[in-house]
Amino acid sequence: MSIETDNNTIGRGDGRRLRIAWHAALFDALGIYGVLLALVVAGCALSPRFASPDNLLNVLRNVTLLGIVCAGVAFVTYSRHYADLSVPAIMAFSGLAAISMQPYGIGASLAAGLGAGLLVGLVNGVAVGYGRVNPIVWTLAMAFLLDGLLRWFYAGRQLYPDAGTRPGAFFLGLSQRELPGGFPLPTAIMLGVILAAHLVMKHTKFGAQVQLVGAAPDVAHTSGVNVPAIVVKVFVLSAFTTSVAGLLLTSMNRQGTFDTGLGYDFNAVTAVVLGGVSLQGGRGSVAGVLGGVLVIGVLLNLLTLLGVGSFGQMVVKGLVFVAVVGATSFFARRSGRGEP
Amino acid sequence: MQAIPVETFCDGAGYPLALRMEGVSKRYPGTLAVDRVDFDVRVGEVHAIMGENGAGKSTLMKMLAGAFGDYTGRIVVGGREVALHRPAAAKARGIEMIHQELSLAQPLSIAENLLAGRLPSRRGWLARAALLREARLLLARVGLEDLDPQTPVEDISQHEAQLVEIAKALGNVPCILVMDEPTTALSAHEVERLFEIIGRLRRQGLAIVYISHHLPEVLRIADRITVLRDGRRVAQLAAAEADAARIVELMIGRAMNEMTIRRARAPGPVRFEACGLSRFGFFHRVSFTVREGEIVGIGGLAGAGRSELARSMCGIDPLDEGALRLDGRPVAARSMAGALRAGLAYVTEDRQREGLALRLRAVDNVLASLIAKRSARMAPAAARSVFHERAAALRLDPLDPSRAAGQFSGGNQQKLLLAKSLAVEPTVLILDEPTRGVDVGAKQILHEAIGRLADEGKCIILISSDLPELVGLADRVIIMRKGRFTREMQRGEFDEDRVLLAANADD
Ligand SMILES: Nc1ncnc2c1ncn2[C@@H]1O[C@H](COP(=O)(O)OP(=O)(O)OP(=O)(O)O)[C@@H](O)[C@H]1O
Ligand SMILES: [Mg+2]
Repeated sequence: MSIETDNNTIGRGDGRRLRIAWHAALFDALGIYGVLLALVVAGCALSPRFASPDNLLNVLRNVTLLGIVCAGVAFVTYSRHYADLSVPAIMAFSGLAAISMQPYGIGASLAAGLGAGLLVGLVNGVAVGYGRVNPIVWTLAMAFLLDGLLRWFYAGRQLYPDAGTRPGAFFLGLSQRELPGGFPLPTAIMLGVILAAHLVMKHTKFGAQVQLVGAAPDVAHTSGVNVPAIVVKVFVLSAFTTSVAGLLLTSMNRQGTFDTGLGYDFNAVTAVVLGGVSLQGGRGSVAGVLGGVLVIGVLLNLLTLLGVGSFGQMVVKGLVFVAVVGATSFFARRSGRGEP
Repeated sequence: MQAIPVETFCDGAGYPLALRMEGVSKRYPGTLAVDRVDFDVRVGEVHAIMGENGAGKSTLMKMLAGAFGDYTGRIVVGGREVALHRPAAAKARGIEMIHQELSLAQPLSIAENLLAGRLPSRRGWLARAALLREARLLLARVGLEDLDPQTPVEDISQHEAQLVEIAKALGNVPCILVMDEPTTALSAHEVERLFEIIGRLRRQGLAIVYISHHLPEVLRIADRITVLRDGRRVAQLAAAEADAARIVELMIGRAMNEMTIRRARAPGPVRFEACGLSRFGFFHRVSFTVREGEIVGIGGLAGAGRSELARSMCGIDPLDEGALRLDGRPVAARSMAGALRAGLAYVTEDRQREGLALRLRAVDNVLASLIAKRSARMAPAAARSVFHERAAALRLDPLDPSRAAGQFSGGNQQKLLLAKSLAVEPTVLILDEPTRGVDVGAKQILHEAIGRLADEGKCIILISSDLPELVGLADRVIIMRKGRFTREMQRGEFDEDRVLLAANADD
């Protein structure tokens, strides 16, 4: 046997098998964008207002914060820890912490906001990674705990940034600022965060380790990967993007309260799973998650344009979710890797 | 390949040692799996460990691989006492283990699996070119140079997966390599290739521990043999002065007779018919019949499409063409539950991934397939009696209904799997490598059980790479090659050599 290998190694020529695998891979990668395309086409047909640049920008603006949250939460799901349910609490905590620290300057305010989120992420990561607590139960408990603490500490009050001071004005301006050309700054941040998260997941050693932990924690452990350390990083990452979104949301609302991030937890899981990140861990990408986020955004926008009320919107969102999950499982079965 | 640095120390006979374990023990809750065992491996030696299912072989070696934080006793590696409480600690000492149950991560590519734990990177970015280059080198060392390292491991066959695992272990440049039943998924040809690799590694000074139930293999490859029974070391002998009968006696504490050839019986009426079955890319236009009380053996090389055929017949994988009939009635094998209701049962070759729910109790596993067959829930007492009847017939050890399936030794998991399929009382039983990883004594029990089932009138389709088993049990052998049936041989026309020849024959 020789140690030299041919660089033009050819894959095993099993036509059918490859073809199915290829379909499935394409579906995994693009499936959600197919759905998005269909929705956009339907939108153009159903409502003349839909395709206007203003409306499209509006869609993007509406999903900006969800996109930022999902960029981090996707890692949690990817590592087979399902979801971070402390998302709303982290968003609220970040916003309140940032406003509280505004008297000490812009830097202190932002650092406090992000630091608050990172602290919660660290606690989550240590509990789940080292303490082996179930991630759903733990992050849910964390959400309740933080919620309670924030209500108690701030006695249920809202905090308002003081637009009269420089830090306050800066903070309020964060969500209103536009890039040259009129593109909203938060949306640009969202696209940047998504791109960075995608690169981290697919092109760094850390991303590959998260995938291994998600796909097979035991294999990761016996291969010498420090699994708890990876889990900690995953939760910290998730908390980081979440607190960025929390700061922007607080700035947008012009106030910080204990219920700032309400609803972002389940919306994030929905978008992440829609975007093709498997709850079994190790499959999917952040690019797909962006697709999931956009599908939710376009769908809700379209329903609003058509005058469907919010209850109807929830029903439709649920139906789309069911359809996409069903299609994913179908392709998985065709290629012989049904979920257990 | 670079030289392997081994700081040596010596045993009583003056041979340099790579490793010594002194009086090591390991207790699971309720079981003392390894009981004060002494064990050593010399540099450049293949040291085999043999013993019945549950004797403690895997446990002893997992201890070495750093799987347990709570073993007792001394482990000396390279002349220094070490504490191996984490896998990383074992790796740092140059100890690599290929686990009995394959451990590759599913959606990841071969390359990422091979280099898991030490992915090449530059400032945090994955160095993909280096990753693929190194993966190709490693694959070439186990003779898989024409496998694309970017293939996801879920798309490769079991025998390829086994070789990939070996390549993965070699990639860490170990000085002690533990192989726990590395040949169970390999065909004769691939076993040769593995032995070639082992021979080369031995000459390079690697210390190799080799666990196997396959006596001829062990006698060929091993320098010394340690026999374990009930967690104790009962003997250690040089392979040159050992013979099969003596080892078996040491293992099971009694002498054993040879594999018996099942006596021929008058063929009954045809009950099961498969007509023109195809799944594109896997098998093509396969037709055959099984008579009442007949064991039809399907022989062939690994990758010939035998398992795929079985899986499609049972509705686990899709079937593109063809029909199945049982007693003249069509079987709609669209789902496994449908197949089960129709009377088909499949014993998978991969007990860990799809055979057993490892965290559920043994009794729940055995009754799992009944859930599909009956709609009503079973009373706990009735459930336990079904379990006891099935498991006792196969001499499950320990016969404990409430132990989790994953806590049985490998061979006993296999018995559990068979018990599970028998619980539904199928008419047609499709067995895919039914005695993989099973010790000689248990194998005989399983063979007798299979023979009994046929005598009761069941139709049995037996897929096996174990030639004595295939030849000894089957009434008729069909050879499958590259997805097609190429030969059919009646009792009297086949023996081990002819089956092997036919399986390898180029048409
Ligand atoms: N995780 C576990 N928890 C409790 N008991 C266990 C566990 N794993 C193994 N055992 C028990 O420890 C003993 C030794 O098991 P081990 O897996 O080492 O056997 P083995 O010699 O490798 O057998 P085989 O040939 O079947 O693989 C058995 O009695 C088994 O039931
Ligand atoms: Mg074992």
